Amino acid sequence: MDFRARVRAGLPDIDEDIVAELADHVAATYDSVRAIGGDADEALRRIDAQIALWASDVESLRRRPKRLPAVAPPQPSSSALTATRQDIRYAWRLIRRQPGYATVLVVTMALGIAATTVLGSVAYGVLLKPLPWANAPRLVRFYETRQGSTRRTPPVMTNLVYREWQPAATTLEAIGAWSTNQVAIAAQRPERVRATAITPSLLTMLEAVPEKGRLFVAGDEETSRSPVLLISHGFWQERYGGRPDIIGQTIRADAKTYTIIGVMPASFAFPDRTTRMWTALEVPPVIGPQGNFSLSMFQAIGRLKPGVTPEQAASEATALGRRGPPHDPVALAVFGSTGPVQVTAIPMRDALTNDVRPAILVLLVAVFLLLAAATANAASLQLARATGRRRELAIRAAIGAGQAQLVRQTLIENLLFGVLGGVAGIALAAVMHQALPAFLPANFPRITEIAFDAPILLFAIVVSICVGIACGLLPAWNAARASVVAGLAEDSLAPVGGGLRSRIARVRAGIMTGQVAIASILLIASVLLSRSFLQMLHADVGYDPTNVLTATVILPGGDFSPQRRAQVADDVVSRLLTVPGVTRAAFTSATPFGSVISLSSLPLRFHDGREQQIQTGVRFVSVGYFGALGQRVVEGREFEDADRGDTSTVVIVNREFARRFLDGRAMGWTIPDDDDRAIQRRVIGVVEDTVRQSVMDTPEPEIFLLPRKIGVDQVSLVVRTDGDPRSLVRSVRVAAQTSAPSAVVEGVMTMEDKAAATLSRPRLYAVLLTTFGAFALTIAGVGLFGVLSYSVALRAREIGVRAALGARASDIIALVLRQAMAIALTGIGVGLLASVWLTRALQGLLFGVTAHDATTFAAVAAVLLVVSALATVLPARRAATLDPVKVLRA
Amino acid sequence: MASNRLAQELRRGSAELLILALLEERQRHGYEIGQLIASRSEGAINFHITSLYPTLYRLEDAGLIEGRWVERPGQRRRRYYKLTKNGRRVLASQRSTWEQFFGALSRVAKLSRA
Repeated sequence: MDFRARVRAGLPDIDEDIVAELADHVAATYDSVRAIGGDADEALRRIDAQIALWASDVESLRRRPKRLPAVAPPQPSSSALTATRQDIRYAWRLIRRQPGYATVLVVTMALGIAATTVLGSVAYGVLLKPLPWANAPRLVRFYETRQGSTRRTPPVMTNLVYREWQPAATTLEAIGAWSTNQVAIAAQRPERVRATAITPSLLTMLEAVPEKGRLFVAGDEETSRSPVLLISHGFWQERYGGRPDIIGQTIRADAKTYTIIGVMPASFAFPDRTTRMWTALEVPPVIGPQGNFSLSMFQAIGRLKPGVTPEQAASEATALGRRGPPHDPVALAVFGSTGPVQVTAIPMRDALTNDVRPAILVLLVAVFLLLAAATANAASLQLARATGRRRELAIRAAIGAGQAQLVRQTLIENLLFGVLGGVAGIALAAVMHQALPAFLPANFPRITEIAFDAPILLFAIVVSICVGIACGLLPAWNAARASVVAGLAEDSLAPVGGGLRSRIARVRAGIMTGQVAIASILLIASVLLSRSFLQMLHADVGYDPTNVLTATVILPGGDFSPQRRAQVADDVVSRLLTVPGVTRAAFTSATPFGSVISLSSLPLRFHDGREQQIQTGVRFVSVGYFGALGQRVVEGREFEDADRGDTSTVVIVNREFARRFLDGRAMGWTIPDDDDRAIQRRVIGVVEDTVRQSVMDTPEPEIFLLPRKIGVDQVSLVVRTDGDPRSLVRSVRVAAQTSAPSAVVEGVMTMEDKAAATLSRPRLYAVLLTTFGAFALTIAGVGLFGVLSYSVALRAREIGVRAALGARASDIIALVLRQAMAIALTGIGVGLLASVWLTRALQGLLFGVTAHDATTFAAVAAVLLVVSALATVLPARRAATLDPVKVLRA
Repeated sequence: MASNRLAQELRRGSAELLILALLEERQRHGYEIGQLIASRSEGAINFHITSLYPTLYRLEDAGLIEGRWVERPGQRRRRYYKLTKNGRRVLASQRSTWEQFFGALSRVAKLSRA
């Protein structure tokens, strides 16, 4: 009799091993029936009944998926060290047993740790690392303004305060000033390099030591002396090949001949690494030898005496500055107010980094939230795994493992994950550091200080350990409460009554709620920043930036007189107009997003007859400028060729000028000339406001003039093309250099690129936060899916009972959905509330959207609800298709 | 509902305990185990033949028992199960747990062990 075939026929798809065993069983049954006198038919009926019984639950006869051999747990050991080593080995073997699971966990941790490390190193390098100068903590930067000034004033100090304060200062050990500039170096191919004019006192204050030669001494700055120059180590190497007889060489820059007196070491970078040479800066008296009034502006720092606060120094400077001679017109032009002098002092490091600090702090908070979400996710996974290992823990407790040993084992296992995640994270962070300089905008402050150095490595290690412990705490707590009876009495399928009624399920639901909350916070922040960035990108800048090429032509003072400059500029423009593809061309003193506009103060007569000094920006422009730039003429007309000439008395104002000073009725009104107040200029047009440096700036009054001569050493070209402006870069360069061979042409770029360059930081912030947000959303979605699937598995019997008692599929889906929505809605609610509070920190970074933008909040809530619903679909379907018969028999 | 659930739990736990206890004396094969449970519990424990092998496989998966094929002269090839070291420890612990449980039950509910 072939019992095997009989069993195989009744029980399809059963392992041959089991078939053999069951065949043995039925053979024994057969034998026993025959032994007590039953006939063969009777015996066969008995064994067929038996096979039918087995077939009613054939599923439970299938062996579970083949596992790797179980890992023998470590034995209790007397020595703590041996025990720990055993625990580590045990944990390592457990990890190796489930490589897929371990990879997911380690990758999640590594991403969180790497992102945190990189931002930590940016924050440390930029905001915390000491400045590379002597007595750096006592260095403070000074800002002068006038009481009542409302607009953002340039970060300067004037000679008025400096000259009053320097000899009388009791709060300072030293004060120094500097002013950075580009100078044109005469050579075969003219070159522009960054030069910083510094007072001799500044070098003493920074305790700088030259690599060769000497530093400036008092007197070097006087204009009567022959000019002297310090060069950087890099400049010496690149331009002079490091030749040893460099001291005493002369160099012609901006039509002046300088004698090189010293080379600064490579470590010296002031105010930053872009400076290649230093000249001596003189701070002139306010009232000159001929009684003329001259206000000069520069940047100033001082070294506080020990124990003096910046505020004390600032109030001393304010008091002394107010003793200086009044200079209302200039003060109005520069500061927009004629109120008394006001000086503020800010520690140098803060001053350097003030404009990026809010963004770095926001990103730091964001990345910590992300790390928390990633850690919570890992903890949640570990907790789920711990649930699956309850029997193991219970068995180990039963065979004599102490509670302390189980907790330690769990912690060590998670620390091992932390270490693996940490090592991967640190490696990833090191790679990201390599890419960082390309990623950060070039004008990001202290970019060279960002390094993957010892403190950052320490930080990364601490973060990894914290993450490991945080992941291990919950499972360890679970292990501490491991109950021998409960653990062994249950099968892997829990008893009836799953849902949130089990402790671990509640903890996981709590973790999930937190993850959803974090995802909503990060998503709201990223959407706000992205919308703000798009608003900036599409902001009405007052002109049409498409198909416009700009360039700056430097016409150094010694080679070009003001009249000659005007001729050259005209000549370049007429040449450009002959270039195929160029539709319009013009020049100006300053394009939008470009060089600093000059400010002037004029006595203006208002409509009501009052006359008052007003502050306004002044640009000179050539005929056709507005057309070339596409700047809209709101009223009146553009300049025409007929307006040129020595007797021309016309002016164009911008809309803000007309609004602020002339009640919007500017046409035909007269404005005094900047140089000769006796001349009155008539307003012939009003143009749209344009942004100056950034779209976030509010419009300021401006007037536009046709130049007769050009007093500044550079003009900007504006070229409108009928195709891709980039194809004309060479033609523009050639046209300029043909008209003026000794001119330097630089910054040839499209207006769109120029505008985009000012948006590089907002773009970076938006991209980073969006990445964090997307990561957090993924974690939340996957996490929710995990929790729900687990919960459905846990509640299988309950669901089976419900189905058996007549619940329809829709009822069961609703059951799962209700649980998911409870988690999602609580998380979203918490996230939105926290966002209301947290997004206030974003206020300063936003443009065209408020921090509490209702649409953004609603949209993020909707997205999270949809993602939560998607995460519910599979678990809910699984629940709805559970077979009550099988579930209940299990 | 609640008493059913308890009964189900007890049955599951007791089946495992019984199997472990039966294997404590010596190694046995599946048929023998089924016969012994039926006879020793005098039918009080309604241990269905259907769940015998699943329970055996579960215990084997948990590392408490170990099965191997044995061929003896004049006999069919049979799979014999024996208690592992772990199984022996768990049995001891479960036994004391059950003893405590029954002790508590008899004190509280004045039940006596059958």
